[in-house]
Amino acid sequence: MSINTASTSQTRNTVYVAVFAAMIAAMGLLPPITLGIIPVPITLQTLGVMLAGALLGPWRGALASSVVVILSLAGLPLLAGGRGGLGILFGPTGGYLVGWIFGSLVIGALFKYWVLRNENKTVRFITGLFSVLVGGVAVIYLFGVPWTAVVTGLDLRTSLIGSLGFLPGDILKAVVTTLVALTVHHSYRGLMK
Amino acid sequence: MIASKNRSYLARIRPGWKFGALLVLSIGLYLINSWLILLSIIILSVVLLLTARVDFKQLRMPLLSLAMILSVVFILLGLQTDWTNAVVSVLRLLTMCLLAYSVSLTTSFDAMLELFQQVASPLRFIGANPAQIALGLSMTIRFIPELKKVYLEVREAQHARGLGNNPLAVSVPLVIRSLKIADETAEALDARGYDSASYQR
Repeated sequence: MSINTASTSQTRNTVYVAVFAAMIAAMGLLPPITLGIIPVPITLQTLGVMLAGALLGPWRGALASSVVVILSLAGLPLLAGGRGGLGILFGPTGGYLVGWIFGSLVIGALFKYWVLRNENKTVRFITGLFSVLVGGVAVIYLFGVPWTAVVTGLDLRTSLIGSLGFLPGDILKAVVTTLVALTVHHSYRGLMK
Repeated sequence: MIASKNRSYLARIRPGWKFGALLVLSIGLYLINSWLILLSIIILSVVLLLTARVDFKQLRMPLLSLAMILSVVFILLGLQTDWTNAVVSVLRLLTMCLLAYSVSLTTSFDAMLELFQQVASPLRFIGANPAQIALGLSMTIRFIPELKKVYLEVREAQHARGLGNNPLAVSVPLVIRSLKIADETAEALDARGYDSASYQR
């Protein structure tokens, strides 16, 4: 019995992308989490997007995020709050969706080629956190904020200030992502080749 | 927001045309600065939606949240620039969203996916496999209920320990169990001799 390794890893990749995309969707389907320290309840959906990059790498992570974006724009109510449809893309928050895809890509690349090259746990955490903040917060906001400005007619500064309300929650999610990703990588060696 | 039941004339137009028209209209809307013209366009859009027998119930929630955002935008813009500008921007944004939703509500999910496949077909040249993409999309849909169940179970289990609102306590088990499901599924697919590289045998 011969094992076709090419299709085996391709099957594995497709399944991983599908499962993570489904996970991101599932994270948007349940009610948000209320923490004591942050006044706004946070959904884990962006956390899922960041994790997709950190755990699956640049291509599979970006694909997972793309799948969620495609399915939501096609009409499924997968975005937090049961939202979906083309109106999201043409509305004020459309840029964030596009940002998800690039965010996963950047986080994945940084993790694969930098963070995971270090064996020291503290170094991994610091580089990991930095990578998630860059890819998960900076990149996503880089797409989201200008889009809001263009679509609503508000200037960049106002759009940026408006988005700052989400920053504490997103930073917390970045920390959680780093911790989860490093924990999983520790038990699942070879998750990202 | 699935337009499975819409049977109006809009539903019969190919999604590619609708989406293209939407893009062109959106750009056009940005070139218009007269609130009068925008107001007439928005009235036309509403008429369009009404004649297409769009299910307005589905629009209630998105329109509500949009209304909240729009009021904030209106006030901010009015204070920062002038009120005519604020009216123009709000009308523009409202029209764009209405038109976008009209496409969403009159295009079936399968038709939308077909549209995305058409849009993405040039990607074939950088090695993307369209059959694989289609498979990935349907596989994802199939996994969503299962993972939603896992997420719910994990949250309840952690809730019993008083950690139900701790994102870390909820994420780790969710991810580990999801990876396990992924590995088991991939193994099962391979054990059945599933060759994902090609569909021809």
